[in-house]
Amino acid sequence: MARAFGAALAWLGLAGAATAQTATLPASIGRGEAVLRAAGGCTCHTNYPGEGDDAPELAGGRGLETPFGTFYSTNITPHRKTGIGTWSDADFLRAMTEGRAPDRSHYFPVFPYPAFSNMTRRDLLDLKAYLFSLTPVERENLPPDALPPFRLRAAVAGWKLLNFRPGSFEADAAQSPAWNRGAYLVNGPAHCGECHTPRTLSGGLDRSRWLAGSAEGPEGELAANITPDRRTGIGEWSATDLAWYLETGIKPDGDDTQGLMAEVIEHGYAHVDAADRRAIAEYLLSLPPIEHEMKAPDAGK
Amino acid sequence: MAPMRSALSMSALTFVLVLGGGAPALAAEDAVHIKYRQKVMTGVGADMGAISDILKNGLPYTAAIALHADRLGDSAALIPTAFSKNVSTGATDAKPEIWQKADEFERAIQALEDAADDLEEAADDEEPAAIAKAFKTLGKACGGCHDTFRKPKEESYKNQ
Repeated sequence: MARAFGAALAWLGLAGAATAQTATLPASIGRGEAVLRAAGGCTCHTNYPGEGDDAPELAGGRGLETPFGTFYSTNITPHRKTGIGTWSDADFLRAMTEGRAPDRSHYFPVFPYPAFSNMTRRDLLDLKAYLFSLTPVERENLPPDALPPFRLRAAVAGWKLLNFRPGSFEADAAQSPAWNRGAYLVNGPAHCGECHTPRTLSGGLDRSRWLAGSAEGPEGELAANITPDRRTGIGEWSATDLAWYLETGIKPDGDDTQGLMAEVIEHGYAHVDAADRRAIAEYLLSLPPIEHEMKAPDAGK
Repeated sequence: MAPMRSALSMSALTFVLVLGGGAPALAAEDAVHIKYRQKVMTGVGADMGAISDILKNGLPYTAAIALHADRLGDSAALIPTAFSKNVSTGATDAKPEIWQKADEFERAIQALEDAADDLEEAADDEEPAAIAKAFKTLGKACGGCHDTFRKPKEESYKNQ
């Protein structure tokens, strides 16, 4: 049954590709790499902070500190024992859009499947094709360092009831194709909101302050307000400033970028099509500005 | 007991006098070092921002890129002086590692100087591809130093 469902999903993905592009396209490794770049290079799955530039790429083991404990990213190389090498297309789609493992257990929401659930099947299956073209790395996944209930996968079911609605991106016909492309990238693969939106007490994204910055981003980082508020956000930036920033990491004042954002630019957004960076910029700068001042979480203590 | 107590209070008094008189003076002295240092780094940022403006907006100022790059080389030469005084507390994002890993800090400054030289050369040659490449290396030189030696924004004095 599951296999039949998977085959049906795979067929749907291919059918989508067929209408969008030419005839019978198999999942494309080359396109999949572009999807990975648009997702910021998936650098959370590479332990750069712990192992430097020699860290095995996409083999996981990176500790992501959150207010709920430290969670370790997983091995997404196609290793058959320790990675995702035995996953079917349906397994991959279920993980990315429902946050569930092949054994149906729930993934902790530190894995940004709420954003990825907005991605097209074609993008997801191309991404899988790319990941499966990589060299498998043998590395076991690590359990989280978190207190119960936050370390219990079953508890994630409750979290999902509160905070997770599987998305499906819908284009806005009133907007330009570039704006829609930007909206898709920001809310889907690039998963900007996962770091740049503050979280509620239950760890869900605060929709009323979407992209307005978070003082408690992953790894304890402060994620900037990226709505176009002039004082507390990026309202003084032009679309060119923003596209250039996503390519080079250099801000309008000449300063550079550190931390996770520097990584996702270097391994991700710097490599996407210039038109996609431009589309992201056009979309972000079109959002309603939200005034939200960023301060460090323990400021004033 | 009485003589001992008075000896104690004498030293306590000395302590109070030294601290009371010395600490603000020291803090004020530190602050002027920090201010100078920040002006030197603001200069680096201004040239980086100006080069960025030329490149991202396609301004026809290639010769100016060479001049900005030349200034960045000069700014790099000012950095060792600007950071010669070991101060990493107060209104500063300088990390103590600057003085703990002095050799590494020196190499990071050298990387900035080298990258600035390369960009100047590429701009003199009017080679757009070489300019783009050299600018990226220059950006990495900034990051290569800031990653280790500047406090991240969640620890920045500006965000406390």
